[in-house]
Amino acid sequence: MKTLVRLFGGAALAAMLLPAPGFAQARVGAPAPDFSATDSHGRTETLSHFRGKYVVLEWHNRGCPYTRKHYISGNMQALQREWTAKGVVWFTVISSARGEQGYVTPSEENAYLVKMHADPTAVLMDPEGKVGRLYDAKTTPQMIVIDPSGKMIYDGAIDNRPTPDVEDIKGADNYVSDALTEAMEGKAVATPYTRPYGCSVKYAE
Amino acid sequence: MRRIAFILGIIHLLAGSPPGRAASSADTANLRVQLVFPQAQLSPVAKNEAGLYFKLQPGWHVYWQNAGDSGEPPQIQWTLPKGVTAGPLEFPAPQRLPLGPLMDFGYENEVLFPFSVQVAKTAKPGPAVVHAKMKWLVCKDVCIPGKADLDENVQIVAGAPATGVNQADQALVNRFIAQLPVPLPAGDTAVFQPAATGFRLAVDTGERETQAEFFPDDQDVLDNPAPQKVTPTAKGLILDLKKDANLMATPARLNGVLELAGGRNYQVAATPGAVTVVATHRTTAGAIARIAGLAFVGGLLLNLMPCVFPVLFLKGLALVQSGAEARHKLRAHGFVYTIGILVSFWALVGALLGLRAAGATLGWGFQFQSPVFLFLLDGLFFFLGLALAGQFEIGLTLTGAGQSLASRQGYAGSFFTGVLAVVVATPCTAPFMGAAIGYALAQSAGIAFAVFTALALGLAAPYVALTLQPSWTRVLPKPGAWMEVLKQAASLFMFGTVVWLTWVVAQAYGAALVAAVLSSFLLLAIAGWFLGRWPGKGWAKAVAAAFLLVVAAVGFAAPNYLVILLPGNLSPEDGRLLEQTARRSTAWQPWSADAVQRGLASSRPVFVDFTASWCLTCQVNERVALDKPDVMSAFGEHNVVLLKADWTRQDSAITQALAALGRSGVPVYALYTPGSNAPELLPQVLTPGIVMDALAKLPTAGTEGTR
Repeated sequence: MKTLVRLFGGAALAAMLLPAPGFAQARVGAPAPDFSATDSHGRTETLSHFRGKYVVLEWHNRGCPYTRKHYISGNMQALQREWTAKGVVWFTVISSARGEQGYVTPSEENAYLVKMHADPTAVLMDPEGKVGRLYDAKTTPQMIVIDPSGKMIYDGAIDNRPTPDVEDIKGADNYVSDALTEAMEGKAVATPYTRPYGCSVKYAE
Repeated sequence: MRRIAFILGIIHLLAGSPPGRAASSADTANLRVQLVFPQAQLSPVAKNEAGLYFKLQPGWHVYWQNAGDSGEPPQIQWTLPKGVTAGPLEFPAPQRLPLGPLMDFGYENEVLFPFSVQVAKTAKPGPAVVHAKMKWLVCKDVCIPGKADLDENVQIVAGAPATGVNQADQALVNRFIAQLPVPLPAGDTAVFQPAATGFRLAVDTGERETQAEFFPDDQDVLDNPAPQKVTPTAKGLILDLKKDANLMATPARLNGVLELAGGRNYQVAATPGAVTVVATHRTTAGAIARIAGLAFVGGLLLNLMPCVFPVLFLKGLALVQSGAEARHKLRAHGFVYTIGILVSFWALVGALLGLRAAGATLGWGFQFQSPVFLFLLDGLFFFLGLALAGQFEIGLTLTGAGQSLASRQGYAGSFFTGVLAVVVATPCTAPFMGAAIGYALAQSAGIAFAVFTALALGLAAPYVALTLQPSWTRVLPKPGAWMEVLKQAASLFMFGTVVWLTWVVAQAYGAALVAAVLSSFLLLAIAGWFLGRWPGKGWAKAVAAAFLLVVAAVGFAAPNYLVILLPGNLSPEDGRLLEQTARRSTAWQPWSADAVQRGLASSRPVFVDFTASWCLTCQVNERVALDKPDVMSAFGEHNVVLLKADWTRQDSAITQALAALGRSGVPVYALYTPGSNAPELLPQVLTPGIVMDALAKLPTAGTEGTR
């Protein structure tokens, strides 16, 4: 009898056309997937080594007008300095594939950091798009915030003004600062997910 | 490097040039943008159609209103003469633009965004300038923002336009107006049902659709690059859409543009509902026969389930009483009983399908989610119990006086025994029934009725078999005094059912309604007393009927007042609260689709108990299998998240979740394993062994990630 029941149960299951399984790797509220990547100084950075600290991931493409908006204005550099001073680990991630816009060699990137007075903890060189795809990064600048327990608490746009215009930075609501401030005060992040704006990440086809 | 140099050379075209000196078009290296006014004279009495036209270099694209994973739609800011207003840019149906692992929505080669211009009667006639400040983003593999100031010289006229239209411009505007999405034609429907990782969108257009693309209006609802699987159905299609991984709550509506073969573009606002799980073109005669067979066996087994048994007991009693009757009469009774079962099953399915067509999300056993129904059924069973216990003669009152019990049992009696059997059978799901009912209700009405007919025949079969084999009834003793004893024994079953139904009322609707139910029992007892004390007297019947009417009226009215008027301590939450503080409180959490995902995301298996207070099978399973200490500790060992989906009262989220599993009623037991979105469904009759076996098959305990 039991086997008969199972037999029919199985047949019923097979009769159902369930959608093909597929799992998103990264999701707000879920543990941030771990990765190791080489930075522009040739060091290996592993996300899980920074458990206990807040981590910001910033997708970067120096040729993208939306990224340029935040670098030419000095907005991104100011954010990097403000939050790394408060103990936050800031990784700038370059997922542009070789030959695509935004692809740079480590020495080019180091020169750029000096020229732009940029101050991230490290720049992760991700020309194969491994970190980008792991986090489903879509645009530059897309921002992700991870809390000390390793949970993703913010994923999305840098602010609420999806334009390439420098004049739109003033008065914009910066979602990254909001998320970090709220989390550090022990509050829930009010806006944990927004649509990231900007140029598409230039992955290899 | 060439590209970077190119980007650095972004030309903000014409930005800053004073209005009035700008042209109606602007050129950049990768596009030309132009205001198109086919009729240069703007009139308050004519329809002034115009458009914003983009001609793009090969490979470059501009964006739809929802740009997809990256990009931004064009924006326009008007400076218009006094009395002139312009409507928003309208967006023709876009195309999917894949970019590596990403997906944008937009237009290549050329596009025109139509808009309309309204002229007030007060507008001053004469030459005027329409000024548009434009911003756009154009992308190939790189993105370049652009700006332009566009001016169109127009003539405002008081009456109808005096000059003809520019035919080429009008044709251009019309060509893109034809590509604007239009509302679904009246009669066509669009419903969506959340599944584990996405949405199942079903659109009925009246014909089989083999080609479709869906573009969501909202930006963070769908996973844009995921392929959209089209399953044609007889009257439309089903589209499997993957949801955005970060989507927290199921949207109230799934809004977007549906592009079908032949350039048909529809603006769709899909409402939540149950979506056919099995595509109709797969419905073969063989499959229907197999399901009907399952339903028949399910109906047979239903006779043994605790909800039907009291009714069957009555029926068996009637059979004994009619033992002396002629053979043909017995058969006729069996036939009428079967008809009673069939008619009530058909009525139930008809009501269910009708209510569903009207937009309600209901499942099998839905009538038990109505407090009015529970109230009246509870009263009916109490009254029958009184009759069987001997307070009054039900035969006297229902069919008039007669010589023997056997002859008193009229055809009406047989018919209504059948009806009663069905009414009480629905909260019980026998093995095999769940799959058959879930399948049937997802099919066309014809197939649903066929399957339920098989189920009805199965339920009726044992009794009919007895009436067809009079030799079996000959074994039974002759009617006599012992039958009174048997009847009184049967009343115990009835009162048992009453206890169960009253408990259901208490669980779901709180103490106030229970008080009303118990008061109605008192009224029924008084009615029974009149019938029993003065049998056969017309006035006594009238008094009893008056009491019964009062009970019915209270049954219809009380749930409205008692459940709503006392929202505090005696509201439906009362029942929920009681339940939560009960024995199962610590281990079992309330179900939500989100809770399932959260559990899986932390690498824990998830077990969902779809249950209802009125579902006896569910209660039995919980007691004999799920709550057993060794089963509970096995759940603990495997770190299983235990969720309880309580369907006692109407809950469309649970109804949809059941439909996603191919079921339409409870119980359903689903075991989700991390990494797979198709849960294992356990049988509907559980033993501790079945649960433990299923748990043993889980991959090694997923304990990491919990702290």
